[in-house]
Amino acid sequence: MSLEGLAPSILAPAFIAGLVVLSTHIPLGHEVLRRGIIFIDIAVAQIAGLGVIIAYTLGWGEHGIEAQAAAVISALLGAWILSRLEKKYSEYQEALIGTSFILAATAGILLLANNPHGGDHLKDLLVGQILWVQWGQLLYSAFVSITVLLVWLRFRSSIGSAGFYTLFAIAITVSVQLVGVYLVFASLIIPALATVGCSNRSGYGMSAIIGVSGYAAGLVVSALLDLPSGAVIVWTIALSALLVHLSGACKALMNSRTKSN
Amino acid sequence: MRMRSRPAIIWAVFTLSTSLPGASQAALDVFACEPEWAALAQELGGDRLEIYSATTAQQDPHHIQARPSLIARTRKADLLVCTGAELEVGWLPLLLRRAGNPRIQPGQPGHFLAADHIEMLEVPEKLDRSLGDIHAGGNPHIHTDPRNILRVAGRLSQRLQALDPDHADSYQQRYMAFEAGWQDSMRIWSERARPVKGAKIVVHHHFWSYLNDWLGLNRIATLEPVPGVSPSTRHLAEVKKLLQQQPAVMIVNTSYMNDRPVRWLSDQTGIPIVTLPATVDFQQDETLQQWFDGLVQAIGEPVK
Repeated sequence: MSLEGLAPSILAPAFIAGLVVLSTHIPLGHEVLRRGIIFIDIAVAQIAGLGVIIAYTLGWGEHGIEAQAAAVISALLGAWILSRLEKKYSEYQEALIGTSFILAATAGILLLANNPHGGDHLKDLLVGQILWVQWGQLLYSAFVSITVLLVWLRFRSSIGSAGFYTLFAIAITVSVQLVGVYLVFASLIIPALATVGCSNRSGYGMSAIIGVSGYAAGLVVSALLDLPSGAVIVWTIALSALLVHLSGACKALMNSRTKSN
Repeated sequence: MRMRSRPAIIWAVFTLSTSLPGASQAALDVFACEPEWAALAQELGGDRLEIYSATTAQQDPHHIQARPSLIARTRKADLLVCTGAELEVGWLPLLLRRAGNPRIQPGQPGHFLAADHIEMLEVPEKLDRSLGDIHAGGNPHIHTDPRNILRVAGRLSQRLQALDPDHADSYQQRYMAFEAGWQDSMRIWSERARPVKGAKIVVHHHFWSYLNDWLGLNRIATLEPVPGVSPSTRHLAEVKKLLQQQPAVMIVNTSYMNDRPVRWLSDQTGIPIVTLPATVDFQQDETLQQWFDGLVQAIGEPVK
């Protein structure tokens, strides 16, 4: 047990990174669950990574703007292909997503077969660690995430599959670099999963409560017990999802709404 | 969840405040990247130092997970002692930037890199991208040669004296005592390891190059074709063929590394595996002396 990690200046940037990720992942998570394409975030993140690796082997920089561009462009390309596949073979979509994930992952291994440390750097680029987050990076990610969120809220009913996949690819590419693949998956799927029985609006609200309390509790626990923050937060999100689900808060909320109406 | 952690905080405040008097006597706060430098600082500073090691003997210092305490410790450190030579390149720059502690930034007296004071082995003659992204500074695992430990000890002691000049004499005395003891130990280790001089060995990764250099071991093959790259089938076949022509005495493995490649090779060739602890177990109060005792003994086993 130690108190020294509890300083707000250590935990605050990580907590805000969590809020930035949740802002897009809660609405997108509900959509992902509705479409039944659970593993798409991991596939898109891996394809974004493959893009960076290709750019790197072509001799572009591995940091900065070129790498960002390579990541976003390949994520968009991957998302476009996945949305085409959904149209054509919707019943096999989950299998196709899984296959594209392992193809992207192993293509990366083959490209980097002779370049071990290059692989290290790229892994760092792709798998962010939430505690290392800095304000500058947060500002950029917050800007992109809020843009994605506004477009989604405003045009959700009219942009269709292609629009969803595009927004999704951008949101995932940004958040994976911020907090890593495990937290992205947890933020996307767990809050949405715990509130499947809720109406749309109360579902979003409950998901936000689960997500925010999960990040807050996870950061505090990881500071007190001196454990890696990302992994602890995954568990606290799952625990608060379980608590919310068992408490039946969603149903109570809906009942009180219908009564007051 | 937030409510629940409150009693824990109160409890922690209580235990911390009761333990403060002991900690407050320390003059310098030392942040070591690896246990070997934490243990060396312990030898050279004793109770005057409050020492924290960012990694344990069971961890690969190339990669570590971010924990809140790492940032907190980096913030209050007066002196950072790390290997350098790009060993910590994956996390230390991020940690330093995130902690923002001006005393231990590169170029400051509080920033001490052991590799700066060592003659590095395996420095690439040219940096060619096609050969992979090799460590430009050479092989970073310098602590496996006790002569390097002594060189670093001298420089580190000077640094401690500069940072805490009021107690320079006491650091100097500790250094002299350490140096005398270490010289004696090195004589004993060299004597004990004489039977393995020139012994043919196979390694998985170039972790023990400095130990080889010190004890005069003869590395005839490496399982990794390039550092950090898993062997291809052709490379493994070549190693196996080489070992049939000139058998090695042992396959040397490192404690924190995956032992499947060496177990495979041992199965194929019947050559015994010697697993060496990667570094001193500082968290369990092991000393550098005890660690080297163990290394020398383990490496002598197969030639008995």
